Amino acid sequence: MRRRHKKKRDQGSVEMNLAAMLDMAFQLLTFFILTFRPAPMEGQLAVNLPPPVPTTKVEAANVAQQGLGKEMQLDLETLHLQVVADPTGGVKEVSIEKSATIPGPLAAGSLLALEQKLQTIFGTQHVPYDRVQIAVDGQLHYGELMKIIDVCSHQKRADGETVQKISFTEL
Amino acid sequence: MSEMNSDKAEPNLTPLLDMVFQLITFFMLVINFKGASLDMSLKLPVLGSARPLEHSGKLEPLLLNVDAEGNVKAGGQSVEIEPLVAREASMLKEQLKFAGTPVEGDGTLPVTVIIRADRGAPFKLVNQVITVCQNHGYRKFSLSAMTKE
Repeated sequence: MRRRHKKKRDQGSVEMNLAAMLDMAFQLLTFFILTFRPAPMEGQLAVNLPPPVPTTKVEAANVAQQGLGKEMQLDLETLHLQVVADPTGGVKEVSIEKSATIPGPLAAGSLLALEQKLQTIFGTQHVPYDRVQIAVDGQLHYGELMKIIDVCSHQKRADGETVQKISFTEL
Repeated sequence: MSEMNSDKAEPNLTPLLDMVFQLITFFMLVINFKGASLDMSLKLPVLGSARPLEHSGKLEPLLLNVDAEGNVKAGGQSVEIEPLVAREASMLKEQLKFAGTPVEGDGTLPVTVIIRADRGAPFKLVNQVITVCQNHGYRKFSLSAMTKE
């Protein structure tokens, strides 16, 4: 009795026609293959850029005598870089606080020189700098500026913290 | 006739269908819907310290592509920067107001602007785009770069 019942079920089993489903699946697959774009290996550099405000240049000695206003203090904590462009949009020279200059174009050697100078400045104890402001020539190529920003973002202060406050303005 | 039908070879399509569904699942998982808004013709600068954007919250960042001539593309189309940013800022303010968190104080908008600029673009042109965004209340910027050449 049981055997007969099993035989009956085998005969009545339903086989789905998979061809239609396969057609649809292939169509979906084709769509996804054609629209596939691998995500680029992109990263981001997050910067907080409030609108530029004029800051007053002050001599450290005067400030020590008169007390620090907020803007003055900000100015003292900011290391100023100035980047001048050559006619092709490359770097002609980078000056740090209008004194030390690194001649362009930006190659591995000059980037290393810039890095060493910045390391010396930030690595020194009792140096108040905790941010970098880069005054950039309008003709400078954006890619060149990013190389300089890359060097600045590597810098560590004497207390071991990385310099994260980087901003830029147009010369 | 009946004998012919019973001898008909029917390949087992189940493994094929399994494989196709696995491929579909893979492509669905890796599909990049934001890819359409990225201008892939841009040569981004290389920045070793670039990190993936930490995006949290419901507000989508504003993505602007700037080519070497300073033309701005957003959502796959060339746009005029001033009207676009003004419209986006206005819509965002309405959205925040509707959500019960209106913009207060200095009008700083809580949305990041992602700037994807060509490495050959003069800084002046990129800075113009940034300035327009600043004028409409955007303060947080994210500069896109390739992590390696």
